[in-house]
Amino acid sequence: MGKPSDLIQGTLDLLILKTLTAEPKHGWAIAKRIQQVSEDVLQITQGSLYPALHRLDQQGLISAEWGQTETGREAKFYELTKTGRAALKTETAQWERLSAAVGLVLRNA
Amino acid sequence: MRWVHVLKLRARSLFRRAAVERDLARELHSHIELQVEEYVARGMSPEQARQAALREFGGIARFQDDVRDTWHASLLGDLRRDLRYAWRGLSRRPLLLVVSILSIGLGVAVNTTVFALAKTLFLSPPSARDAGRLVNIRLARSSHASYEQWRALSTSGALAGVAGYQIESEVNWLRGDAAVTLVPMLVTANFFDVVGVPVGRGRAFTAAEARAELDPRVVVVSDGFWRSALGADSSAIGRAIMLNGSPYTIVGVLAPHIRGIFGYGSAPEVYLPLSKTLLPYLGEPGAPIVQLVGRLRDGQTVGEGRAAFTAAAQRAEGMMASPADTGFARLEVFAPARGLSQAGPPGSVAAFLAVLLVIVGLILCIACANVAGLLLARNAERRHEIALRLALGAGRARLVRQLLTEGLWLALIGTAGGVAIAAPLMAVLNGASLPFPMPIDLGLSLDASVVGYAVMLIIVACVLSALVPALQATRMALAPTLKDDGRTVVGPRMTLRRLLAIGQVAVSLTLLITATLFVRNLARTQSLDPGFDTAHTAVAQVAFVQDRYTRETRDAMVETALDRVRAIPGVVSAAATTGVPLTIHAGRTTGTTIRIEGGKDGVHVEFSGIDVGPDYFATMGMRTVSGREFRRTDDQGATPVAIVNEEFVRRYFGGRDPVGRTMDLPGDSGAVPTEIVGVVSNAKHRTLGEATRAAVYASLGQQNGDSRIVFIIARTAADPSMLLRPMRRVIGQLDVSTAVEVRTMRSALAFAFLPSRVGAIVVGSLGVLGLVLAMIGLFGVISFGASRRLREIAIRMSLGASRAGVIGLVLRDASLVAGIGMALGIAASLAVTRPLAAFLVEGLSVRDPLSYLGTVVTLAVVAIASSWIPAWRAARIDPVAVLRQE
Repeated sequence: MGKPSDLIQGTLDLLILKTLTAEPKHGWAIAKRIQQVSEDVLQITQGSLYPALHRLDQQGLISAEWGQTETGREAKFYELTKTGRAALKTETAQWERLSAAVGLVLRNA
Repeated sequence: MRWVHVLKLRARSLFRRAAVERDLARELHSHIELQVEEYVARGMSPEQARQAALREFGGIARFQDDVRDTWHASLLGDLRRDLRYAWRGLSRRPLLLVVSILSIGLGVAVNTTVFALAKTLFLSPPSARDAGRLVNIRLARSSHASYEQWRALSTSGALAGVAGYQIESEVNWLRGDAAVTLVPMLVTANFFDVVGVPVGRGRAFTAAEARAELDPRVVVVSDGFWRSALGADSSAIGRAIMLNGSPYTIVGVLAPHIRGIFGYGSAPEVYLPLSKTLLPYLGEPGAPIVQLVGRLRDGQTVGEGRAAFTAAAQRAEGMMASPADTGFARLEVFAPARGLSQAGPPGSVAAFLAVLLVIVGLILCIACANVAGLLLARNAERRHEIALRLALGAGRARLVRQLLTEGLWLALIGTAGGVAIAAPLMAVLNGASLPFPMPIDLGLSLDASVVGYAVMLIIVACVLSALVPALQATRMALAPTLKDDGRTVVGPRMTLRRLLAIGQVAVSLTLLITATLFVRNLARTQSLDPGFDTAHTAVAQVAFVQDRYTRETRDAMVETALDRVRAIPGVVSAAATTGVPLTIHAGRTTGTTIRIEGGKDGVHVEFSGIDVGPDYFATMGMRTVSGREFRRTDDQGATPVAIVNEEFVRRYFGGRDPVGRTMDLPGDSGAVPTEIVGVVSNAKHRTLGEATRAAVYASLGQQNGDSRIVFIIARTAADPSMLLRPMRRVIGQLDVSTAVEVRTMRSALAFAFLPSRVGAIVVGSLGVLGLVLAMIGLFGVISFGASRRLREIAIRMSLGASRAGVIGLVLRDASLVAGIGMALGIAASLAVTRPLAAFLVEGLSVRDPLSYLGTVVTLAVVAIASSWIPAWRAARIDPVAVLRQE
């Protein structure tokens, strides 16, 4: 458990979008944040993170811009677009429905 | 705007690949740096931290590919790959590339040029402010309205404005110490106010200052005139030029490349307000003065404009002096002003352009067939590869798309080639000097719509020439193709390529027959006997300044001029006349009812006529069949006399000699009993192709002589071009205000030969182009066919077939294709060339057997020639080597 390849397809996208709701972040910070919040259960490797980021960028859900970190390093910051925000909303709702349904089946079947 | 963003990214990853790659590398590098930073913060040494970060990161290249895949999940990505792949394939076959680009390029170039021509002539509005609101107006009965009619209509308020113009007059412009004839645009005072022609410098004249009643002396000149005649001098405005001996002040210069209101690319050099000085009969009731152009009010539709105008015309007619049906109140044309003035498209020009459009369309088809044939051959060579890819699971649609990309390349380069060829072609057409009395500025250019048309053609050409081969190539049955490796002994008999070649031969035969007809037409026209000698005469056009001469002084001057011309060494005889047949001054044509002595009362006659002086017929090389020529004594005091031609005698005198008899000819004040003193041989009057006309010549000395232009014709036994300078000098010395232009009769008649010459040159060269393209196609088909049969040929040769036999084999193949093509072509030509009859002179049939025979022989010879090389090559193979290739 906990390996990114085990994440259900599309879940990583959802997590990335969610991570970006508060403020723009660069790739490293996104991975770090997911790891922290999930209490180290979810570890995102670069090998899945960057393809996902670029896919979301190509789909127009997030947009990227070069900027500087607090420590003065340059990094590419990703920001949620309007479409991305809307997508996050529907995806979250769907995820909740799905997980609730899975929970129901696991408890009652 | 999500799609904009997405499109931008896609385009970026497609076209700015390097930048995107760099960006990714930078991003990954930054990630590693951040990781290093964290490890250092946790207490690692920088060296350890870097190693740990890199280890954790793993192989960068591995997932760089994953990232890249996200960029290319699109059609565009495929396209980019296909383009590169197709280009690699094409660039390995320079011959295919060159032939295709030339074929498509030439096809597109001629199509684009003809389109540009059609656009200039028929689709482009005149240069004017808000040209969409301009309307052509034509009253019934006459192309020109009288000055009175114009005034009534322009003050009626039915439209925002009604202006008039005409280009039928000439003025003498004093350039240095010699006068030159110009054809001015004579316009009503409000012309520039109504039409709003763009002015480059200075200003246009206004209705207030240019009223005819003021005898205005202002002029607006064209940009071309300002540059060529005034040296592009910016101080020219305010200066005067001498026209007809009076100074006219230049108030403005028009913008460059004005599309004149008259159409046909006519570019008048000077615009003058109408006046009695320029047109003495200006105010005469019913005298045709100007063509009308109107401007609709804001918001007024063409229909409303027509209604308002008709009502105004009817009101005005009621107020006219003679309210008989003058045709005033009825409109013939009321339509938006487009490329041509009187809206009704002049039949022959429009029809000729239609023929041209069809011809160039066919040429493009031949060109496409060439490219399609080449691609078919190429795909056939790749059968094995294609079959393999299909077998490995490539989708057919994907393969078709890939093969189509080759067509796209060819089309792209073809467009570039086409535009590169069309630009100089248009420049040549723009610069062509045509024997018209005023400058012609066709203004052909590669503007947006012309280039758009070319691009549209390219897309069609691309689909036509690449889609069929692509479909054909991917439709094959897999197993047999993979097995036989493309080396069959006997190929299929009737392949798509052969069908294409047959079509090409058929189409090019039709084109060639058309071309031959036009060339034969020119030959016919040139050999047509105009009825007078064109080889030994020179013509001086002498244009006097209006009002400078009285009748007597003018006649005296003409006499002096004639005497001096006769004194030039080599001149055999000289004569004066008011018109020269087959030029724009070909004289009048009259239809009237007259009384002929000894005949019934009131015979309706139609005849052409000019006023000629003594010795005219001898000078022109026409025969006097009976009676005599005019003499000096046939002047105002003497009995009115006339000379008729043989056709007149045949029609109205039943062939009996009319000399000595009298007929009543229409004169200024009623019928004038006129004695016929001679009969002369027939001659052409207006066009070379016309049926013989009856003619009545009047004595120059007896006519009213308000004609401002007199021609002096001189005859020599030697080369008439030797007469040009001396005639120009001796006549010009008489009065510098008089414009003298001397030409040989041949060049004076250039106008008459123009239509057949243009037709022969244009259609003839297009026909040759079609022939060359079709021959390239035939050559390709035959050589490809021969190369596919090499094994068969090798077997035959090793079994004892002779080289001659092999050559015969290949030639038989070629003659089958050419033969079927020509048979179809003849049938098609017989069916479709009928409308061309309108362009051919009398006596030349559209089914002219000589044209057909000549074309078929030419095509057969060219077909054999183009298949000879492949045949010869096939006969020289080494059968052992070919068979060992197994």
